[in-house]
Amino acid sequence: MALKRLFTGLAGAGLALTLLASAASAETLRVMAWDGYADKDWVADFKAETGIDADVVFIGSDDEIWAKMKGSEGKDFDVFAINTAQLQRYIAADLVDPIDLAALPNQKDVLPRFRDLSKVGGVEKDGKVYGIPFAFDSIGLIYDTDKVKTPPTSMAILWDPAYQGKVLAYDNGEHNFSFTALVLGYPDPFHLTPEQMDAVKQKLIDYKHNVLSFYTTADEALQIYKNNDVALIWANYGQQQMKAMKDAGAHVAYINPKEGALAWLDTWAISKGAKDKSAAEKWINFMISKKVGAQLSERTGFGNTAVATANAGGDDKIVWLENVEDPLKRSDMWNEIKAAP
Amino acid sequence: MRPSLTPRGLLLAGLAFALPVVLIVVPLAIFVVYSFFSVDHGTMVYTPTLANYGRFFTDPVFIPVLVTTCILCVSVAVICVVVGYPVAYFLASLRGRWRYTLLLLMLVPLLMSYVIKIYAIRSILGQNGFLNAALMTLGIIDKPSSLFVFNLNAVLLALTLLLIPFAILPIFLSLERIPGNLLQASYDLGATGTQTFLRVTLPLSLPGVASAASFVFVLAIGDFLTPQMVGGTSSFTFSRIIYSQFGAAFNWPFGAALSIVLAIVVILAILVGERFGQQEAAR
Repeated sequence: MALKRLFTGLAGAGLALTLLASAASAETLRVMAWDGYADKDWVADFKAETGIDADVVFIGSDDEIWAKMKGSEGKDFDVFAINTAQLQRYIAADLVDPIDLAALPNQKDVLPRFRDLSKVGGVEKDGKVYGIPFAFDSIGLIYDTDKVKTPPTSMAILWDPAYQGKVLAYDNGEHNFSFTALVLGYPDPFHLTPEQMDAVKQKLIDYKHNVLSFYTTADEALQIYKNNDVALIWANYGQQQMKAMKDAGAHVAYINPKEGALAWLDTWAISKGAKDKSAAEKWINFMISKKVGAQLSERTGFGNTAVATANAGGDDKIVWLENVEDPLKRSDMWNEIKAAP
Repeated sequence: MRPSLTPRGLLLAGLAFALPVVLIVVPLAIFVVYSFFSVDHGTMVYTPTLANYGRFFTDPVFIPVLVTTCILCVSVAVICVVVGYPVAYFLASLRGRWRYTLLLLMLVPLLMSYVIKIYAIRSILGQNGFLNAALMTLGIIDKPSSLFVFNLNAVLLALTLLLIPFAILPIFLSLERIPGNLLQASYDLGATGTQTFLRVTLPLSLPGVASAASFVFVLAIGDFLTPQMVGGTSSFTFSRIIYSQFGAAFNWPFGAALSIVLAIVVILAILVGERFGQQEAAR
């Protein structure tokens, strides 16, 4: 991994230069986030409200965040966006600091689902909060309202022989194992016992026989939908995918299944190497305000924690994604499922 | 001419060798080396092991998939040759500038992006696609058929469409190289057109057929995109397994080992094609 170290080194060197350039300004918050999480007008509003400048670095992958944080042991950033499945790894590596909720008045006004953070899987460790929920989306079911007359309530409909050859599945072992485990009623879909894995595998082989094709991108699913007789789509890209299909004129609707919808959740976390922790807390408090939340959903289609959106109805059961017991095993078993007759 | 041993000549020779070594031999060697490593919970383990190759031979998934993939690709090669031969024959029989103009037109699809072509093919073959619409208008079928997409037929059809230029070209070249006086002699000795074709043209063009078939086979077996996009759930190919090792699974060593296995199959195919071509040419 000498190459990786070289890249991290280069990235670090580049960053050091940027830091030298901006060291003159007294208080600059160093933010690392996904595109869409720190828009220019928000950064300007934040400065107007608090007098703090924010330097935003956009990242392209989970691996990149890890490389940047691990490479500098957190010293290069004050606050960064990270999803709940990844956060535990940063806590274990001692790269993040616990967050004092008293410094975040806006957290008291978030949607009920996000108020009690002990109920949001993955953001706490030993009673301390390390990540403040910010953006999310559910992985629900898109169905064609012309072909499916009664709105489905469960992913179990994907196995219904009435829709044989009319189902679009997502090509990813990890998620497919998790959602099938929920259909089978297993309490922890991310940590399956070997017996449960085998049961899920058999169930997924049956699933495959009901499926028309696997897709990988939302565009691809839309194209297949247009040219074929598709009734049900396992919607990996959630509301974004739903919106793109509606824009294309499709008669479709979206549900979160009753057994629980898998959902990813991005949080804001404070780096161990933060220079000014209170500035980082101000940033988080600003980001979870109703105004930013509403704009985030409007601009990206993701759910936010402050204002209710179609991503999750108030009563919908949401299962936040966690790291799975063995991704390699799931990927290998997914290949076995695909190779099965 | 012997290469001069002047410093300048040595430098040039060195450069000429360095480029392929650095760009081809070294990456391949790294690949081979990787195939002897392993992965444990997302981190690479650099202790040499034969486990990856052991797994290929013992796991019940890989060999059957490799065999079905080979059968699929041999079928593609056969179809491409059978369909491509008459086209090449027609092209070679043309005189003057028409011959090369048409040949060039035949090769135009190669300039287009592979992905765009697959997307287009997929919409043509789809249940609401052009092919079904045409068949229904003609009254051949009364409701859209799902025979043409997301199954093995679709992969065969799509690969054939995509790869047929690679079959036409070598056959055309071998047909073009047959001296006209041989055909003339055959006619002079009283052979009919069919006899001339079967006993003179066809045998002399077989080296081209052999290289066409091995070209198509090699290109088809390495293609993971076409089976992925038009194959649906029933055509899982070896290259799709390899692809999955580098993406979701993050198991580069095992992916490298499977690629080496595939490379051996490909090299065998090329050798068989070459040997067959030479034998026929020598007869």
